[in-house]
Amino acid sequence: MMSRIYPLISVIAAIALFVGYVGPTWNGSIAGTKNAIASDDQALAAAQAYATEESQLVSERDAMNPADIARLTTLLPDSVDNVSIILDLDALAARSGLTLSNVNVSAPAASSASAGAPAGLSTGGTGGIGSVDLVVSATGSYAAFQKFLRGVELSERLLDVRQLSVKGSDTGIYIYQMSLRLYWLR
Amino acid sequence: MALIPNIPTSFVPRPDSTSRRRFNTSDLGSALGFVAYGAIGVVLAIAIGLFIYGHILDSVLAGKDVQLANARASIDSAKVESFLRLSDRLKAGEQLLANHIALSGFFDDLDAQLPVSVRISELSVATDDKGAVSVTGAGIAKDFNSLAAVSSALAADGRIKDAIFSDIAVNPQDGSVSFALAAALDPKLVAFSPSSATPAATPAATTTLP
Repeated sequence: MMSRIYPLISVIAAIALFVGYVGPTWNGSIAGTKNAIASDDQALAAAQAYATEESQLVSERDAMNPADIARLTTLLPDSVDNVSIILDLDALAARSGLTLSNVNVSAPAASSASAGAPAGLSTGGTGGIGSVDLVVSATGSYAAFQKFLRGVELSERLLDVRQLSVKGSDTGIYIYQMSLRLYWLR
Repeated sequence: MALIPNIPTSFVPRPDSTSRRRFNTSDLGSALGFVAYGAIGVVLAIAIGLFIYGHILDSVLAGKDVQLANARASIDSAKVESFLRLSDRLKAGEQLLANHIALSGFFDDLDAQLPVSVRISELSVATDDKGAVSVTGAGIAKDFNSLAAVSSALAADGRIKDAIFSDIAVNPQDGSVSFALAAALDPKLVAFSPSSATPAATPAATTTLP
């Protein structure tokens, strides 16, 4: 009689152990841990790829001339800083023989990320391009105006002449009104 | 000669039926016992293996978590930000320079096309967001022939396009001709060229303008 009970108890215990521990452990904590390891592996692979990309970018940036990067930052600064450019315009006008009579600021109508920028201009990263128009009124000779205009065109801080009007007079002194658009990186 | 029926034909004794039955029962019990003990043994082995495997996986996961934390800590967000801004600045600068307009080219061309007998008294230049540049203005010519010469010169040059002279009026007192002008500019005429940047464009230390 006992020789049949022990095997039966063993079978029941085996089934209970399988159902109560082996199955839940395999499908539960083991599977969860394996998933977490797979997720960590993916993240580590991404981190490795990032480190490789970062070192490549560092080497590429180091290959650039720091003076060129500084000029690029001047071309498109991090802030609008229109006061500095007004001072620079005033100095340029004085050197050119032009007299600035008025400077106004008018923001372009749109306020999107690339507001006011030329068509198709956008950036893919942190922000967009900001722009603002400076409306400058001046008087002076035509030669002075041409010198001033060339200075504006060659400005390291990029200035686009959006509108320009000239009114002549018999004295040879003209009245100029220019709308200059300046940009910055938001 | 016939044999007697109850005399055995072989000298090998036959097993009796009771002993055969006892052997079969014992064998079945042993087989069942073997299977049962085998099953519990296998399941126990699996359970122990799982227990150990789970601990190994936990330690592997802990190690990878540490690696991942180190990798995260090694990421310099300021450096990432600087790369992004440099990339944005390069792209935007390239596009802005591609669309940069230099109107001095137009004024140089206008100077070359206008004879001294024609004077522009008012001039407006406007640029739209697509980069198209239009010109409107008004002026006075010494006589009609001078105005015709300007019209022909602009048509021959082709860079001040679609030049339309309107509001043409002759002053009866001196024969001068007043006119209005509307035209579009060839983008090539006002395109900024880096090669046109002269050494004078190099900025002073404290200014962005030459």
